Amino acid sequence: MIDGLTPTQPVIAVRDLTKRFGAVVAVDALSFTLEAGSITGFLGPNGAGKTTTLRLLLGLARPSSGEALVFGRPYRDLPNPTRRVGALLESGDFDPGRTGRNHLRALALASGIDACRVDELLELVELDRAAHRPAGSYSLGMRQRLGLAAALLGHPALLVLDEPANGLDAAGVHWLRGFLRQFAAGGGTVLVSSHLLAEVAQTVDHALIIERGRLVATVAVDQLPGSGALEQLYLELTGTDES
Amino acid sequence: MIAQLSSELFKQRTTRSARILLASMIGVTVLVVCLHVFTLKTAELSSAANQPKVFGWGTTIGALFAALAGAISITAEFRHGTIRPTLLTNPHRARVIVAKATAAAIAGLVIGVLAAGMVAAIGSSGLALRGIPITLHAGDFTQMIAGGAAGAALWAILGTGLGTILRGQVGAVVGLCVWLLLIENILIGNVPSAGRYAPGASDGALAGLMPDAGSATLLTPIAGALLLVGYAAVCAAAGLAAIERRDID
Repeated sequence: MIDGLTPTQPVIAVRDLTKRFGAVVAVDALSFTLEAGSITGFLGPNGAGKTTTLRLLLGLARPSSGEALVFGRPYRDLPNPTRRVGALLESGDFDPGRTGRNHLRALALASGIDACRVDELLELVELDRAAHRPAGSYSLGMRQRLGLAAALLGHPALLVLDEPANGLDAAGVHWLRGFLRQFAAGGGTVLVSSHLLAEVAQTVDHALIIERGRLVATVAVDQLPGSGALEQLYLELTGTDES
Repeated sequence: MIAQLSSELFKQRTTRSARILLASMIGVTVLVVCLHVFTLKTAELSSAANQPKVFGWGTTIGALFAALAGAISITAEFRHGTIRPTLLTNPHRARVIVAKATAAAIAGLVIGVLAAGMVAAIGSSGLALRGIPITLHAGDFTQMIAGGAAGAALWAILGTGLGTILRGQVGAVVGLCVWLLLIENILIGNVPSAGRYAPGASDGALAGLMPDAGSATLLTPIAGALLLVGYAAVCAAAGLAAIERRDID
């Protein structure tokens, strides 16, 4: 690379990423890059390898071969990663006996983030009145919002969300869409996985469609002819319309 | 590292299981000591060889609950999935486990002092109430509380390592209970020449006393301390190797 001539570094760079579990190839030579300020949908049927890819990207699992870089580095080499990357992988990732506020405070302490940021986020995700209750008593939608608040603690520039709309009601999905648009408009980058196309079709700028661990299409949504076109393409590529 | 430690200490204070563990420990301690002090015959309790066995329960209970606190601090993360946000926040897994072991050791010190102190207080008052003279000296009580606290801290580190290796909460809890309450007693009772080198008996040596063991059987406090440090270090090292190597689901 020559200084000054290189374009801006991609926020996410995945190259030939492969993950095998025994004989099963969960992620198969996957390559893609994400530029700043966009919302990218990571689409595919259940079991296509979306969650495994995100785990590899976030350093929770090691690739069998290839690499996944965030801001030019493996996640595990990022200094203070929560200040750059916010992630929501599973909605139930909290101790059911700990209150919502204390869940966030434990994470904030580990990243050296001030406790007032916790209260700010509880208000943003509209959990301020439930914050003193054990998280085990939360509804599915409240759990998702608690997870989203955890992802936002460090004012990240990149959000990685795995099925964030699961369990949200219509108003919740609407709120999430608005939130993601606003986040991207402020220069943030979002990678959001979903197996339900309708949830994300109206929100994403790009779509990565994966099937059996392989990337089958990269789509710029605004270049598609109409609102039903992404769905049609998705169904053709993933073969889920056969039945 | 300091940030991670403060987070781990905060986690310890904010779970239901920590409160349940502390309450159970206090209940078990009171029950076990009262059962011994008020059911054994005067002749049995007066013997200088038997009193350390009664007071020795403080050592075992302290070690057990400290080890459980350590093991639960990491197995709870696997059980509830909080290991994911924890490692996303701090991807240096070894540092997370070291912080957890340190937090557990601090809790272990408190648990050890509490268990040995309660046994000393309830045991001596019970004996005094029955008019039985206490054969232990001030030095014995000091070693029992200080050694019991240090031993419990080491057992907490051992428990954290074991929990990191096993990941499953039920397996870790059952394993620790079976080892400390059954296996150790069988070893020290049936094969004292080998049993005295086991981790529970090493803790007994450090504190100067344990249930079901005559003081003659136990190693010197220094030897017990070194051996227990070794056991804790091996478990912690194996836990660190396991967390670095494995993928997180």
